[in-house]
Amino acid sequence: MNSFWTVVGFTVKNKVKGKAFIISTVVLALIISIGINLPYIFTQFDNGAKEAKNVGYIQSTSEELALGTSTAEQLKAYYEGQEAPSIKLVAYEDKGSAEQNEKQLKQAISDGDIAGYLEFGALTDSGFPEVTYKSEKLMEYSLTSSIESSLSIIRQSTILQNAGLTEEQMTMLNTPISIQTLQISTGEGAGSIGDGKSVDEQGLNMGVVYFLIILLFMSVMISGQMIASEITAEKSSRVMEILITSVAPLKQMFGKIFGMFIVVIIQLATYVIVMLLNMNLPHNVETFASFNINLSDVDPMLLVYSLIYFLTGFFLFATMFAAVGSLVSRTEELGQAVMPITIISLGGFYISMFSISTPDSLLVKVTSFIPLFSPFVMPLRLGLTDPSVWEVLASIGILLVSIYVAVWFSAKIYRTGVLMYGKRPSWKELRKAMKAYKV
Amino acid sequence: MNPLVVDKVVKQYGDKTAVNGISLEVGKGEIYGLLGANGAGKTTTMRMVLGLIYPDGGSISYNGKPYSTEQLHNMGYLPEERGLYPKIKVSDQLIYLGQLRGMSKKDADKSLKHWLDRFEVPEYYNKRVEELSKGNQQKIGFIAAVIHSPQIIVLDEAFSGLDPVNVELLKSTVKELRDNGTSILFSTHRMEHVEELCRNITILHRSNAVLQGNIKELKKRFPREKVILSTENEVSGLDKINGVTNILRHEYGYELSIANESVGGEILRHAMDQSVITRFEIKEPTLNEIFIKTVGDRHE
Repeated sequence: MNSFWTVVGFTVKNKVKGKAFIISTVVLALIISIGINLPYIFTQFDNGAKEAKNVGYIQSTSEELALGTSTAEQLKAYYEGQEAPSIKLVAYEDKGSAEQNEKQLKQAISDGDIAGYLEFGALTDSGFPEVTYKSEKLMEYSLTSSIESSLSIIRQSTILQNAGLTEEQMTMLNTPISIQTLQISTGEGAGSIGDGKSVDEQGLNMGVVYFLIILLFMSVMISGQMIASEITAEKSSRVMEILITSVAPLKQMFGKIFGMFIVVIIQLATYVIVMLLNMNLPHNVETFASFNINLSDVDPMLLVYSLIYFLTGFFLFATMFAAVGSLVSRTEELGQAVMPITIISLGGFYISMFSISTPDSLLVKVTSFIPLFSPFVMPLRLGLTDPSVWEVLASIGILLVSIYVAVWFSAKIYRTGVLMYGKRPSWKELRKAMKAYKV
Repeated sequence: MNPLVVDKVVKQYGDKTAVNGISLEVGKGEIYGLLGANGAGKTTTMRMVLGLIYPDGGSISYNGKPYSTEQLHNMGYLPEERGLYPKIKVSDQLIYLGQLRGMSKKDADKSLKHWLDRFEVPEYYNKRVEELSKGNQQKIGFIAAVIHSPQIIVLDEAFSGLDPVNVELLKSTVKELRDNGTSILFSTHRMEHVEELCRNITILHRSNAVLQGNIKELKKRFPREKVILSTENEVSGLDKINGVTNILRHEYGYELSIANESVGGEILRHAMDQSVITRFEIKEPTLNEIFIKTVGDRHE
């Protein structure tokens, strides 16, 4: 047992002291800090940048332009009546001819006075003339849709006023109708049992689930690659031969896996602390409160189950990475060798990512029992639906059994693989070698 | 009871036999030479001794006991290719290796410093292995093998890639370890090292032990067939002597091949008649010659 901890200590010490570790941790911590402060930064910008866009039109009493002018003036009045209008209409004099007017407005755009201008055509069934918005930019959907909705509000209120409705009736018509949704469970749920989840809670859980799945995926990928490449490096530098004559291979393999686990936990803990610190900065507290995000609302059972899946998922993937690492003699070949495991973990990751809006689909239900996928998929079900207790326990049970099998098998591969040099062995060669080595 | 007894071990890789029934014993304070061409089975034999792989047949005992993890702490190993972490500091990894073999951190550190001083390279304590030359990496690898004062040391091509000065340094260290009672299993291609260090040897050829025993006795088994003759003046007619099969002229004189030892006296008498003799020697065969004779014969 003593040498196990020696291996753990050595692994942790060398990784944590390494430049690569320090730099990548600092860089990611910075990115996290920026990411969390982003909403606040945006609100700062928004307030400053919320100047109305100027949109030009031609003001004229001439017969063909009169209809357009009155529409534009209605719009102008409507926007001016708003508290923080996004659009401001600017009138330009009629220059007499269509070409002259166009020239004048184009000049105004290039001078930066207006962002674009409106042109009006013939009267349509809508009660308004045909409206064309002309600007240098391609995607001005927000602006045109704002104008569209403004026009329809203008039309509605004009019609309603003409119909002689009272103020009260008008308010009633304009108030939106909303439906509250509460997700309930009919059986015995494994999450917060039978409580159900409100929309806000669901949103929060969705965020937490996203976060946990990304965390698991990241730690599996980072540490898995590190475990495999360290083992390959030890093998290619022949340190392995000395190590195996000093420690039992199993102790060495699990020492390495456990050491790497601690490294990943240190790294993730740094990120989580950075994240919590940032979220608790005074300006951010307000911002997040305005989004209805309150971390104390997270279901504790969700965290407990997620932790179980995180640990089991980590160790399952880590042992597989270790086994593959022991088979490869040169670091150059490693990428190709770990490909299948990488793809499986990517598969689990994407299944749960893409199913976040359909957490009760058949795909999710089935994959939440399949060992290599369940660490990614079951937390999704736990967070967003209420799977029954037996389902969760069965899934964890299957996972534990498969870890046992993976450990047993990986240990055999490891014991054999670390002494096989040259090209990567085929399954047949590996089986032969296992027999020859009597493992 | 000898510290290391290898008894008729057999190792097969699939249908290929890598080691075919080799026996050897290494006594306390003895260096045992394991010789053989590339692929003869030296490394496989050593790996079995180290418990890296298990023999298919035969047995290996350590101080009379079979292999167990406890034996690991009694053994040191210097593999043929460096066997160190290139990117980790010398002190970190050697203390680690020492700890893995049951030393405390403090003892390992003390032992490491002692050995670095012994090799006159205390400044390597804080260097990374990749910063060192190949020869110096070899020294560090050697320290890794002996840091925990093991009873049995296995050295695979310990002196390859070293300059003459360092070879001497390592040789004297190995002798010192031997005199302190360590049993050393030693493999090499360099016959002069074996002659200098080893008492007993085994020559392996294609998985079999073809020649085995005490070096002095082995040499007696091979006839003395070379005469070295140095004289002040030219000597003529040496080729006329019965039993002289070949004559090579060197700067220092003549090297004659003879059919049997008794021809030596004839040569001496013949040369004395013509000149003053400064050197006359009937040479015993070198290990190199024995090796080439034993292994080379079988190649044909």
